[in-house]
Amino acid sequence: MKALLLLTLLTVNAFAIAEPLTKDKMVDILKEIDKRVKSPGDYKALVYLEEKEKDKADVVRELVVYRRDVDEKLTLLFTKPKSDAGQGYLRVDKNLWFYDPAVGKWERRTERERIAGTDSRREDFDQSHLATDYDPTFVGEEKLGNFNVWVMKLKVKANVDVAYPIVKMWVDKSNGTQLKRQDFALSEKLMRTVYNPKWEKLYSESKKGDLWFPKEIRIYDEIEKGNSTMVVIKSVDLHPLPENMFTKAWLESKSR
Amino acid sequence: MSQLFLIAYNNLLQHRKRTFLLGGAIAGVTALLVFLLCLSSGVHSTMFESATTLMTGHINVAGFYKVTSGQSAPLVTDYKKVLEVVRKTLPDIDFVTSRGRGWAKLVSETSSVQSAIGGIDIKTEPEFLKVIHANTGKVEDLAEPNTILIFESQAKKLNVKVGDSIVLSVLTPRGTNNTVDVRVVAVAQDMGILSSFNVFIPEAALEQLHQLNSDSTGAIQLHLKDLKRIPQDMADLRKALTAAGYAVMEQESRPFWEKIDAAKREDWTGQKIDLTTWEDELTFIRWAVTAVDGLTYILTMVLLIIISVGIMNSMWIAIRERTREIGTLRAIGMQRTRVLALFMTEAFTLGILGTAAGAVIGMIFAILMNAAHIKVPEGANVFLMSSHLHFSFEALRILGGMFVITACSTLISIIPSIHAARMKPITAMQHIG
Repeated sequence: MKALLLLTLLTVNAFAIAEPLTKDKMVDILKEIDKRVKSPGDYKALVYLEEKEKDKADVVRELVVYRRDVDEKLTLLFTKPKSDAGQGYLRVDKNLWFYDPAVGKWERRTERERIAGTDSRREDFDQSHLATDYDPTFVGEEKLGNFNVWVMKLKVKANVDVAYPIVKMWVDKSNGTQLKRQDFALSEKLMRTVYNPKWEKLYSESKKGDLWFPKEIRIYDEIEKGNSTMVVIKSVDLHPLPENMFTKAWLESKSR
Repeated sequence: MSQLFLIAYNNLLQHRKRTFLLGGAIAGVTALLVFLLCLSSGVHSTMFESATTLMTGHINVAGFYKVTSGQSAPLVTDYKKVLEVVRKTLPDIDFVTSRGRGWAKLVSETSSVQSAIGGIDIKTEPEFLKVIHANTGKVEDLAEPNTILIFESQAKKLNVKVGDSIVLSVLTPRGTNNTVDVRVVAVAQDMGILSSFNVFIPEAALEQLHQLNSDSTGAIQLHLKDLKRIPQDMADLRKALTAAGYAVMEQESRPFWEKIDAAKREDWTGQKIDLTTWEDELTFIRWAVTAVDGLTYILTMVLLIIISVGIMNSMWIAIRERTREIGTLRAIGMQRTRVLALFMTEAFTLGILGTAAGAVIGMIFAILMNAAHIKVPEGANVFLMSSHLHFSFEALRILGGMFVITACSTLISIIPSIHAARMKPITAMQHIG
């Protein structure tokens, strides 16, 4: 019912004259974004991660993302190139662990760690917590290419740890998808710009509705100009995953 | 005894050509050994000087603070209380500095490098001003807010000069991204490998970057009057800090940044104190000093074996040439032990004169190299700990080297000398050749 109301709100707003969004409306939009990408059942995606660094050769990695959102669990398993195959990240509660089969050791990393040294973060592959982590303020409306968008500024709530405490977000007025975001440091310096030009949805049996996922995420490093990362989600599978998937033993077994 | 020396000296003079060649070989090896020992001492002293200026005290009272078990920051919170305990325990410290510690990405318009950052209050560190020499800009300007001192190799990599801006990007102890824009106020002369990954910013800028209050610091660096007291002072500090209720980590010979990840893996939160010595903080470059020392000894050993064979051969020749002389000496009553001593004294005299000449040559060469202020190629400073060749003189090491070579050249002459001493006078006197 709430989703229907929000959809109505989105449709009306698409044609309405520019009017600032109230805080409640913005929170509803953020909740809807969080809800769309959240999967009550298991989630598996094949992902390509392309890293471009200034004066260096491009590096393309292939990985599989496994998620069990209800338990806040996440596993990233690298499968290509050969040098990285078997490496992986495992999120257990608030801890992110990294495993490298070359040394056979687990390293505890911060949740806000760059993934494989690229500009992507754990959050880019995981479910979203925008509504619970941030307080939004309305910036305005503008045109982003062909899209009419709302622009919001999000500030992290007290006692919440996030990689970027300030986020500026461009949300498509017609369907409520996030098209662009800019992440800022504590000093309010722009750190990275993220584009989500393509969103796709897939019917989820467990959700009894559509699960949205960005087909492409383009991340531009704003500190080291010229560095960028592209995340391409090739396929998504929502079938149940084995119980033991989110364990260190499972990730270790993949490189044996 | 003096007679033996006189005979040995006269014999050496009589066979000038052989003495010159053999003595020259001994002098050459000694000169090389002394030169390498001076280089090794130079590496040691450069490493000590640059390390105790750039990144460590003689003893460091540092530690890690973990907000959550998955994060760790090189911090000592409420450090003034820790300092009180330290001062009570070690009242005769020379001086104390507190330095902020961190690891950041330095980003210029064209490039970026990773570096350790030291937060420094330049007004309280006169020693720093004495040791760090600015090529351009002024080190004292680090007193201004949001400034940075970098070294010439970093300036080259980042393509920046005094007055340019650099962005420092870090993760705070809570794992949040933060940045600070700093202005380059000084580009200092390189101080070996250590200066390639150390930069300095005002303590306040580091606190702002890591979102810390002024009660926190990275490390309390203690500079002692007597370095021999380090083990005892370390033990006293450990005892005192533990008694004061601080959790003190086991001593581990690793620099602090190598421990950050290990601390992250451990399942505890809060503050732990880490006591380290300057040598603990430099384990990652100790291999370079060991390599220089190893190379010195291997090279010397090889050359020593070669000249030992030379000395032995030359003694055989000398004995053959002087067989009749030995026979005569034995016939007029010289004892076998005296003949043995005669030849060994000759070898010893040759050894002592050769090593003395070699040591002088080696030291002169080292002095000349120091004066020439020769720049070493990039990469070689990993071994040499300095961007310039630096030699220093340690009398004990040089005398030790001279002693070893003289002892070798004397001992190697034992076999031919025994042969000479065993000759029967009648046979020796009849010898033709």
